[in-house]
Amino acid sequence: MSGRGRVLRRREIGTLAAGAVAVGALPALRIPSASAADASTFVSGFGLPLNLDPHQVYDVPMQSMMLNAYDNLYRYQGDPPKIVPWLAESHTVSDDGLDWEFKLRPGLKFHDGSPLTAEDVVYSFRRVLALALAPAGAFLKILKPENVTAPDPLVVRFKLETSYAPFFAAIPSISIVNPRVIKANEKDGDWGKTFLASDGAGSGAYRIVPAGYRPLEYLDMEINESHFLGWKDNPKPVRKIAYRPTKESSTRLLALLNGSLDCTDTNLPADQVAQINESKIAYVQKDVVMRTFVIRMNNTKPPFDNLNARRCFAHAFNYMGFITDILGGYATRDPYPMPEDLWGIPKDAKGYDYDLKKAKEYMAKAIAEGAPMKRPIELHVQSENEQSVQGAQLFQSDLAQIGINLKVVGSIWSTLTTAAAKPDTTPDMWVHWVSTYFVDPENWVGQMYDSQFHGTWKASAYYKNPEVDTLLRKARALVKQEERAPLYQEAIRKIMADSPDIWIYNSMQLQGLNKRVKGRRFCTVGQGAEMRWITLDG
Amino acid sequence: MLRFVLRRCALVVPSLLGLLVVTFLLIHAVPSDPAVAMAGDAATPEQIERLRQQYGLDRPIWEQFAVYVGRVAQLDLGESAFSHRPVMIDIAQRLPATLELTFCALAISVFLGVPLGVVSALNHNAWPDYVLRIFSVMGIALAAFWVAIMLQLLFSMQLGWLPLRGDLTSTLPRPDRVTGFLTVDCLIAGRWDAFADALRHLALPALTLSLGGLATIVRFTRAGTLDTLQQDFVFYERAMGYRWLRLVWIFVLRNSVTATVTQIGLLFGGLIAGGVVVEAIFDWPGIGSYTVQAILTGDRQVMLAVTLLVGTVYAAVNILVDVVHGLLDPRLMERG
Repeated sequence: MSGRGRVLRRREIGTLAAGAVAVGALPALRIPSASAADASTFVSGFGLPLNLDPHQVYDVPMQSMMLNAYDNLYRYQGDPPKIVPWLAESHTVSDDGLDWEFKLRPGLKFHDGSPLTAEDVVYSFRRVLALALAPAGAFLKILKPENVTAPDPLVVRFKLETSYAPFFAAIPSISIVNPRVIKANEKDGDWGKTFLASDGAGSGAYRIVPAGYRPLEYLDMEINESHFLGWKDNPKPVRKIAYRPTKESSTRLLALLNGSLDCTDTNLPADQVAQINESKIAYVQKDVVMRTFVIRMNNTKPPFDNLNARRCFAHAFNYMGFITDILGGYATRDPYPMPEDLWGIPKDAKGYDYDLKKAKEYMAKAIAEGAPMKRPIELHVQSENEQSVQGAQLFQSDLAQIGINLKVVGSIWSTLTTAAAKPDTTPDMWVHWVSTYFVDPENWVGQMYDSQFHGTWKASAYYKNPEVDTLLRKARALVKQEERAPLYQEAIRKIMADSPDIWIYNSMQLQGLNKRVKGRRFCTVGQGAEMRWITLDG
Repeated sequence: MLRFVLRRCALVVPSLLGLLVVTFLLIHAVPSDPAVAMAGDAATPEQIERLRQQYGLDRPIWEQFAVYVGRVAQLDLGESAFSHRPVMIDIAQRLPATLELTFCALAISVFLGVPLGVVSALNHNAWPDYVLRIFSVMGIALAAFWVAIMLQLLFSMQLGWLPLRGDLTSTLPRPDRVTGFLTVDCLIAGRWDAFADALRHLALPALTLSLGGLATIVRFTRAGTLDTLQQDFVFYERAMGYRWLRLVWIFVLRNSVTATVTQIGLLFGGLIAGGVVVEAIFDWPGIGSYTVQAILTGDRQVMLAVTLLVGTVYAAVNILVDVVHGLLDPRLMERG
């Protein structure tokens, strides 16, 4: 037995030695590291959109991609965001707000070198309307395809069905695409939908490399030397963008700290901030963004059909405790139904504060009016988002103190938005953020509290106040901001008095950046993902 | 032999059909509307309803199932709600990466696990046996995500030997796609730099994924070997002066690995499932994260297609296992 053992131990040693050699050989195969060593490639941790067609998808990841690959007539720039001429050099609007005319810059070109003219802008808008997907939402009811015309190669004309002031604010959401590239790849009249989902047809500062794309996994872009803005304002630009989104929070942190990632996405957890700031290689950039966090109440379901009940819940949320203790202070308390620094906010309106005594008083009034405050209330959260779960748990503990039984129910976005399509399937309460799709009160109060939007997730409180409807519709139909602002202020005062939802905070975006990244310009639309200003040191 | 394989293949068809029925019903039981995902964040109810009609989501479930089966029979797996690309293309891009990782993990498990299992058995109740038994318990008990992070911290952050994530360094151009297996495509293209880089990227995820399987194979091989060592033919051969090493590594091992081979077939499915976590941590561009995204967005076509394809691969591997069983023990093949 012992002899056999000796032989086998030698065997075992041989096996282990072979393994050690194999592992030892790996460092010998080592090649230069991913990014930090390469001064012309920016490795981005921004999430990728669901596909690459800016007329099919319109969300935060799409904004960060399309701002680099495509151009728009006008674009949001700066912080706070201002809408500035981009492909267009100017525009005019008729007094009734129905006729809009945009004058293009001369000499514009697509990535393939073909000229970008007014006809291409017309095609782009008609394609958006024909596909009728997310970016079309702001235009479908007010714009017919035949009413987008090009009377001149440098002039685009829009004739709206009704006056709609947010039209101009939504113009930057439409990317101008190259119809010649798309038409060559159309199948069965699909407007090149399948083609553009994984390819590019733009004129932006960077061009998509189709071979370097796998949906949601990676995307490569290379510089467009002939971009219409030129590169004089950035003589040492990034030449290649390698989108390499991370899926796990810990991997994202490690990748930033070992230099294989130049920036993370903008959802860095607060507990990683100190660790990154202590490192020699990276730091955390903090920017206030127009992204509000809200707990919705289904105003059609008892007890939320009772005003005193809704006020009770609004006073029972520990706003500052949540912001300070759970978010590490990386958010700003926003008591309004839209970002605090947006025009149209009535600064004199007082929001709801955390006060369990007041909550109890309103609860007693609600009970006296027959509201079933003792029934179990469900609060649905997005399970994959830890912050929404923590907020719900905090709320649960405070409500328990005043005798309200709150059940936290885990869910996912698609299930929640499906449920929110009807008042009877919408949860008692649910949690979500409202991001900036266009910088206008319409993006928040307009679409959240005008009853004509019932059935969309944004209007899932199913709040209905005819006076508010009138004010919001009137504001939407006017063109001048100074005329619209008082109407929104009045509407918001009424909405806040009715307390249809619980408005909690405006986000502070936390993004990890490698210290070699210079020249970044932040804008809440796109969240600082526009790359043409960036230089890499070293 | 051919008859044996054909019979096994014939049994796969009803299994896959059953899998399709169960998956279809389960997916439709989830209260999530794919039209909502397709329409996107800023969509109006009218846009959502139009998509519902366009994709037949407003039809009765049996009708939707009949249409789906008809399409699958023509090898059309539909269109993804979130990439708006044919599911077949999306899967064809990702499945090779998952299979590459899975096969690599399985290879580590088998080529280390079988010899270590024999070593453990031959050193029954001696220190190598104790060490390997502790190791195999740990291999099964440790969570893959914890092991993955520990390996990242050691090999990527401390030693700097291996890459943290992904399948290829982002500054390296990808080889032309021929098979979809990155390492194979690198070799076909003669890209040795990319091949070495791809191997280095494969090392940590494959090692993480292999641990559970390695532990299982060690234990099964050990048990099988201990059992075989008690057989009369072993005593007879030893008494006849047959060389001990030859006896162990050829005759004892061949009679010991039947249960291990069965486990390998079962492990394959487990590795694909376990790969979801490993792929997420190492940002491996396989089918795991694609499937998770499909579940989160309610992308039914993708969920169905992935289930069907993974089921097909799993069935194919099990047929292979049956064939190996038949080769190890020809009596099984004779019985059919």
